[in-house]
Amino acid sequence: MLKFLIFRGLYALPVLLGVALIVFIALHLAPGDVTQQILGLGASEERAQALRIQLGLDRPVLVQFFIWLGNLLQGDLGMSHYMNVPVVDVLSRKIGNSLILTGGSLFIVVLISFVLGTMSAARFRRPFDRFTVVLSLLLASMPVFWLGLIFLYAFGIIWPIFPTAGMYDLKNPGGVLDVLHHLVLPATATAAAGVAIMTRVTRASLIEVLGQPYIMAARARGLKERAVVYGHGVRNILPQFVNMTGLNVGFLFGSSVFAEVIFTWPGIGLQLYDSILKRDGAMVQGCVLAIAFVFVLSNLIADFVVYVLDAKKK
Amino acid sequence: MEEEVNLNSKNVKVERQRSSLYFVVRGVLGDRYALLGVFMLAVFACCAIFAPWIAPYGPNEADPFLRLKGIGTEGHILGLDAHGRDMLSRLIYGTRMSMVTGFGPVLIGALVAIPLGTIAAYYDKIGQVIMRVMDIFFAFPMVLLAILVAAFLGAGLINLIISLTVVLIPYNTRIVYIEALAQKRQDYVEAAKAVATTDTKILFVEFLPHVVSASVVYSMTIVGPIIILAAGLSFLGLGVQQPTAEWGMMTSSGRVVMHKAPHLSLLPGIAIFLLVMAVNLLGDSLRDSLDPRTRLQRINN
Repeated sequence: MLKFLIFRGLYALPVLLGVALIVFIALHLAPGDVTQQILGLGASEERAQALRIQLGLDRPVLVQFFIWLGNLLQGDLGMSHYMNVPVVDVLSRKIGNSLILTGGSLFIVVLISFVLGTMSAARFRRPFDRFTVVLSLLLASMPVFWLGLIFLYAFGIIWPIFPTAGMYDLKNPGGVLDVLHHLVLPATATAAAGVAIMTRVTRASLIEVLGQPYIMAARARGLKERAVVYGHGVRNILPQFVNMTGLNVGFLFGSSVFAEVIFTWPGIGLQLYDSILKRDGAMVQGCVLAIAFVFVLSNLIADFVVYVLDAKKK
Repeated sequence: MEEEVNLNSKNVKVERQRSSLYFVVRGVLGDRYALLGVFMLAVFACCAIFAPWIAPYGPNEADPFLRLKGIGTEGHILGLDAHGRDMLSRLIYGTRMSMVTGFGPVLIGALVAIPLGTIAAYYDKIGQVIMRVMDIFFAFPMVLLAILVAAFLGAGLINLIISLTVVLIPYNTRIVYIEALAQKRQDYVEAAKAVATTDTKILFVEFLPHVVSASVVYSMTIVGPIIILAAGLSFLGLGVQQPTAEWGMMTSSGRVVMHKAPHLSLLPGIAIFLLVMAVNLLGDSLRDSLDPRTRLQRINN
């Protein structure tokens, strides 16, 4: 078991290195002169050259990459040109907020899709099952940004019961309840498509399991239907459910960019969006690396949990 | 794959000769929901192709006096936008963008992924390199990778299509790779090699039909999400630019006047929703018809 954990953990390293390389290349080849962005259009060539030397841009690309990578490993992602603060400071302040949003929507996804998926599979081709199939089709077809705007209109303008911007109340900020109150709309909007996907997969895998011979055997032994479905059936789809949940973290992290932009949730997604619009290269780089890191990590954790669940079954 | 399914059926020979196409046609024609999807797609396709004849106004024809007028305004059934342009006409013209940015990247992506995945499966060493590079792309959530590439390339229709294609290739390649690997283990490959069939012939004559159907099914299920993603990138200002009529951008530009003219954002969203639903209805049916585990039971019903 330890061997598997180490091997799987080590496998994430080359992937992360590749991610770093791609992000570096993307920024390096991106059109536009960094010095011009910092100094402005009217800067003299001497000042630009001095700045290039200061930033190390005069060295060979490969040397630049390794210096950059070295700094990255020490937790130094450079300075944001636009905000003039270290990128790491901004990221560490905001990544928590993004994780709260992703965590909130993941909670909704796991809860609803587990309940809907298992219940509809147990009621295969009955009205509740048909309802679930149609519901997941509708949810899967909704753009997250549009759903967000509908929430904004419905619960912010027509029937204002939820706050539609930021994370804290402006008058008396703070407190877990305050954050949760702000979390409801963006987390639900982000979760919608995830609920659709996860419900389908849960339903399909449970239907498949319920068709297996050992389920028939359990029924033949006279086990109650509830015990068959939830004891034997659901237990056997758990590894797959956990695996899908792990993959969903990345999916939700991606969709949360839209929710963050619409509900001005102060997370990495909103920061990434702002930094792209302001052409703040180092900040974009930092945001992308942070998100990819969380994604790889969540898949890693999901793999571990699946492994442990499988080991237990044996 | 087919053999496993047909072991229990009596008319083994007849079943085995049937091509994937048979199952697709039977599956889709026998599925009310899929037919609804086909019908809706046909309507959207007509809107896209015949936009200038169907739309009552030009996409950028503006009547400044009627700015932001709501649904039901005389002469403008679906109201007007912030510049006084007819919403219905812009929605009809917008179909073009969503169709192109939805189906375009998926088609190009499949054309790249099919040879790439097949070659990766057939030649082990090249395969290792290709699939490890793909692993790096899997480290990014799809939406994020699209945002990154689109931001890197800059806005515009062509760049939007390129970035969506880049995002798709790893996923489609993996589907093709897995299918081709399964084909490689079949006995007929051994037999073909024994009679000195060239590698190229095995790859592109023997493998291709199987690999293509796997790729097509995947492609059809991904068109919906790609349409949403394309509109989303335009929504963020990273895709199609003003003044082109595009649903995602129209949704975005309605945000600031949400309180007094909600139809600006809501209508294009409904259009995206309907188009994606049409594609999903057809895609789900195709997937079920080609999946050996489900197709027989579908036809028997």
